[in-house]
Amino acid sequence: MSATDPALMSLTQVASAIASKTVSSREVTQVLLVRIAKWQPHLNAFMAIEADDALAAADAADEVLAKGSSKGPLQGVPLAHKDMYYDRGKTVTCGSLIRRDFVATTTATSLQRLKNAGTVRLGALQMSEFAYGPTGHNAHFGAVSNPWHVDHVTGGSSSGSGSAVAARLTYAALGSDTGGSIRMPAHFCGVTGLKTTVGRVSRAGAMPLSQSLDTVGPLAQTAEDCALLLQLMAGADLEDPTTQKGDVPDYMAATKMSLKGVKIGVPSSFYTDDLDADVSRVFDETIATMTREGAEIVKVDLPDQRQLASSSQIVLAVEAAAFHKRWMIERPQDYGPQVLMRLQNGLAIPGVLYLEAMRWRGPALAAFNAAVVGVDAVLAPVAPVAAPTILESDVGNSPDAEAVIQRLTRFTRPVNYLGLPSLAVPCGFTVSGLPVGLQIIGRAFDEAKLLRIGAAFQRATEFHTRCPELPRS
Amino acid sequence: MTRPDPQSIKAIAAAGGVPVDKETATRISNSIGPAFEGFAAISGTLPFDLEPATFLLVQTAKS
Repeated sequence: MSATDPALMSLTQVASAIASKTVSSREVTQVLLVRIAKWQPHLNAFMAIEADDALAAADAADEVLAKGSSKGPLQGVPLAHKDMYYDRGKTVTCGSLIRRDFVATTTATSLQRLKNAGTVRLGALQMSEFAYGPTGHNAHFGAVSNPWHVDHVTGGSSSGSGSAVAARLTYAALGSDTGGSIRMPAHFCGVTGLKTTVGRVSRAGAMPLSQSLDTVGPLAQTAEDCALLLQLMAGADLEDPTTQKGDVPDYMAATKMSLKGVKIGVPSSFYTDDLDADVSRVFDETIATMTREGAEIVKVDLPDQRQLASSSQIVLAVEAAAFHKRWMIERPQDYGPQVLMRLQNGLAIPGVLYLEAMRWRGPALAAFNAAVVGVDAVLAPVAPVAAPTILESDVGNSPDAEAVIQRLTRFTRPVNYLGLPSLAVPCGFTVSGLPVGLQIIGRAFDEAKLLRIGAAFQRATEFHTRCPELPRS
Repeated sequence: MTRPDPQSIKAIAAAGGVPVDKETATRISNSIGPAFEGFAAISGTLPFDLEPATFLLVQTAKS
């Protein structure tokens, strides 16, 4: 691996290099395919690798460029995404046995918008079964490994996305975040991940888990990369009536701004309770860096976040069970034991309780907004610990499985319930060399502020540029 | 609001068309119990005319 290895470029760098013909789409696609072949046996990050098709698409992209034309800002950039985004004519497994042979007849709006910008498809990335698991285990296709230490989990459910971006096997990847599924892999794998506001990016053609909580977003090397991807995907979509109408902000412009004048809230409790020593140290160091870069740090007293996490669990359990009811009746044996167990949880929640949890969302968001008046964003850990080992987090459907899941996701679920955006950024490493990410939580539809903060922080630090070494066989 | 016991879970699941056995009902009770307890302070206290769509109003309100 040399310093000029195109695989180490960020998304925006490689897009620029291809556009200026410094490198060709074929060259970078070949480089990534070679890396994928070396890493895949260690990581299990890809569900499908489509080398021949990718190279043919790269050649086609290069031909367009040779004619002085371009489809868009990602012309010829090879990408792979979580295997839950429908891509017409392609098998989309959703990480499941049930959909192992499902061929999509439509293309997800988010994916189509990236295709319209000129991307090349490398294949599809592994994920937790039906996006219902926070660790990266998968009963059917095996666990995905963390490239920083292959005995450790990636986090889920966008496990392949986190692993592949960290190992520089794709310049970016779509994930989805219903309870932390973008931020968790970003934190555990040392990449940048953006959970978008509910309504910012169309979910049409993305496998549903919870219609109230699901969000589409990217994982990439940098906040700038995430800004570029969001710029392309965001905005109203007739296929998804929940998307917000109106103009989409200039996210790329936001990433050029500094931290001067930005006020960042640090929670006085909950998010700072019971942190592992490494996470606590990284949290303090990040506050110091942001202060040095000109941000004003203030304490904020947030409303009871445990109630938000419980509400999130109620909404998610019921909506997931409703989506899966038919298969729970007809094909229960085809689910992994933990996923079936979690789906069954939704059966026991009365309709009145579910609706109460939905009715409380507005007042809960209003209370949160009131607690952060005058603050641009809130800084918090993604999880209280760095990536646990695959073995210790393999709780299957044991009686304490849900407790383990709740502990891992306790800092991410409240944000999903409130529908807020949150940017997970690499902020340091544990003494044993595992990445630690923090999340920057913003106001509804203010992803621009988060990307500004993330990009400014990354100009002052180098954690996001570090790349894991290929394990010795 | 207290967590549902296995017997009531069996009844709810059966009424919903997805029956579960006693062992599964016990496991479900333990799994979702904390969510019930966490939401207990809210349940039964919401204003009469509060609708779920209030969330969208708050979300899009200018701060």
